[in-house]
Amino acid sequence: MGGVAGPVGLIVVAVLLPAIWAGVARRLIRTALLLSLPIAISVLLINVFFFPGGQDILLRIGPVTATREGVAFAMETLLRIGVISGSITLFYLTTRPSDLVLDLERRGVSARLGFVTNAAVQMVPSMVERAASITAAQRARGLDTEGGLRKRLSGVVPIVGPVILGAINEVEARTLALEARGFSRPGRRTLLWAPGDSGIQRLVRWLIVVTVPLAIAIRSSGMLAGFGG
Amino acid sequence: MTLALHGVGYRYAGASTESITGVSLEMRDGEVVGLGGASEAGKSTMCLVLSGLAPRAIKGVLSGTLLVDGEDVTAWPMHRMAEVVGTIFQDPTTQLSGVCATVFEEVCFGSMNLGLARDKVIDRTYAALDAMGIGELAARDPSRLSGGQMQLVAIAGLLAMRPRHLVLDEPTAQLDPAGTVLVADALAHLAAEGASILIAEQKTDMLARICSRVLILESGRIVLDGAAEDVLADARLDALGVPAPSAVRLRRALDAAGLATDLPADLVA
Amino acid sequence: MTTVVLEDLVHTYAEGSVRAVDGVDLRIGSGERVALVGQNGSGKSTLARHLNGLLRPTDGRVLLDGVDARTRTVAQLARAVAVCFQDTDRQIFAGSVGKEVAFGPRNLGMPADVQRAAVTEALDAVGLAAETSTNPYDLGYSRRKLLTIASVLAMRTPVVVLDEPTTGQDARGMDRVATIVARLAADGRTVIAISHDMRFVAEHFERVIVMRAGKVVLDGPPVAVFGSAAWDTLASTYLEAPYPARVGQRMSLGSTPTDVAVVAALGARVHPGRSRPDA
Repeated sequence: MGGVAGPVGLIVVAVLLPAIWAGVARRLIRTALLLSLPIAISVLLINVFFFPGGQDILLRIGPVTATREGVAFAMETLLRIGVISGSITLFYLTTRPSDLVLDLERRGVSARLGFVTNAAVQMVPSMVERAASITAAQRARGLDTEGGLRKRLSGVVPIVGPVILGAINEVEARTLALEARGFSRPGRRTLLWAPGDSGIQRLVRWLIVVTVPLAIAIRSSGMLAGFGG
Repeated sequence: MTLALHGVGYRYAGASTESITGVSLEMRDGEVVGLGGASEAGKSTMCLVLSGLAPRAIKGVLSGTLLVDGEDVTAWPMHRMAEVVGTIFQDPTTQLSGVCATVFEEVCFGSMNLGLARDKVIDRTYAALDAMGIGELAARDPSRLSGGQMQLVAIAGLLAMRPRHLVLDEPTAQLDPAGTVLVADALAHLAAEGASILIAEQKTDMLARICSRVLILESGRIVLDGAAEDVLADARLDALGVPAPSAVRLRRALDAAGLATDLPADLVA
Repeated sequence: MTTVVLEDLVHTYAEGSVRAVDGVDLRIGSGERVALVGQNGSGKSTLARHLNGLLRPTDGRVLLDGVDARTRTVAQLARAVAVCFQDTDRQIFAGSVGKEVAFGPRNLGMPADVQRAAVTEALDAVGLAAETSTNPYDLGYSRRKLLTIASVLAMRTPVVVLDEPTTGQDARGMDRVATIVARLAADGRTVIAISHDMRFVAEHFERVIVMRAGKVVLDGPPVAVFGSAAWDTLASTYLEAPYPARVGQRMSLGSTPTDVAVVAALGARVHPGRSRPDA
């Protein structure tokens, strides 16, 4: 099963080892599994039972057959998915968004971009809370949210309208407050601190910059064909 | 430093008439001016115009001129206005930047935007926290404070930008009694220290407490302008939709009953 | 009409173990004008939400005319108790004042002619009769607030709960709210108002319930709740008695929660034999 060696190697070296070093291994495994579960299930089912050209039959359930080639391919694909979800989760678990934004700002990316990202993320809980508040007020006026579907559908307008209008008003109020704090001044703003950077981190970044094009080149030139790559 | 309005009117985009019209006033250093008037009389518009936010951040047409120390500031960008006039709004939550994990950072936010040197930012922040008496809140999460505390943080954040004037648009409207007291006390303290403040309020008791001068607006025009004690005792306030301060009301009730008894002068309404 | 009874009401929000309402026993008769006061976090808003079933008791009961509120849905309870919330922006949705006020009556299934009458009556009561086709957002804040009150009045419920009806109101708006409270009581309807304005409370309500940390700490007429005997308790809730009450205490006039009371007390002192004007 040569095709498995690559992904397994990557998972160990690029995902698990750093995760253990950062102390997030357990959370990473749990989160990455959750993240990939839906797609993993569909990959498994489709490939095990419907792999084209599958000859070696392992199981027959009614009209569908499970083939060894299918299982092998499914395993390879699942491991590749594991690499992807593992690395995404590793990034998410080891990076503070505010640090990322601050660092980008330090390197010259506009403060406004980071701000907008943060604000967008915060908007969701704010809108959820607003919707709950509005629903309560409308229910207090007799809107029946516990009734049948048609009744619930007619209840959408008295709730969605104020949610959106309120969100827009809130954006306007926030903009005024930001303007009053000089937010639209062109140029850089003073930063209180910058996230730390170390020699090792810089080394790893350079390694990534070098390795990725190298890996793509090797792959496309077919040099590793014998390794099931 | 003097902040002056000469014949100023403001019409919001899409509106057919001006919300304030023919307004002329001068705010001198160290003055605490109160702005009263019925709902929709133009108090908020006045605040937005004085701060420069109208027309820079709110679309509309400004007529007349806004002058800082005699200089026409029509061409000034908003961030330059922010160094002259600091503005506080009613809603404590929308004034938080939302990106600062601690009160300290929140208060730094404005001066950081101005690009001041790091040491200056930090010094000013400490000074502002002291001026508002909220030093012990420095490490707290701003989103978890009470409404009154949030307003104090907002004011501190503006103070750190060292504006010459503070404009407050009904800062206690959305606060509970404890929050109102917190903000009123802080403003009284600032006023005593010689700050230049313009405060729009329905709560005339607060205006009676801290203002030396009071303006009353009606339908966008200044109809009363004078010493606080005179304006707040003016018989026309009722017709203008402005409630008289508690002490004035009690005084009137006593006078109407023919009782000349003096009221304790030191009791703050 | 309708009596509201709270029996040992307890409410704990799911996340924490803090009791927002911690064992409250109350009985409010029909036609009473009750003010519910306390700091943010004292439990008054939580309590108000139990009256129409938006929140259900963790322990204890809410009885409306002897019927356990638990046996009714919120939509059903809205026939008995209409609650007007504080934030106008989190309620108004219609393009016209008339449609906005008609929302409640329509939900309650009032026949069209009764709806019209209820809407007209409510708009008259708040002074917006001329604005039926106006867009609510063309009204000033004060009048929008009155609009939300009208929306609830139109439901013709025996109990009306107003959450902060005077916040942000100008003098005219406040007078309107005062008139509304008086009219509701005169019609035999119960009014429960949550308010931060102690002066307004002292002048227009016959019963003041003070809450702190989920419990009722004072319950009585303004003259008792704002009298000096209750001051320590009041101070512990960070509330302050209205100005006339403080003047009365300073000048040793007894408990004088309103201007009228101060005048009466001083009048009696200055002319001890003379009969006092109606307080």
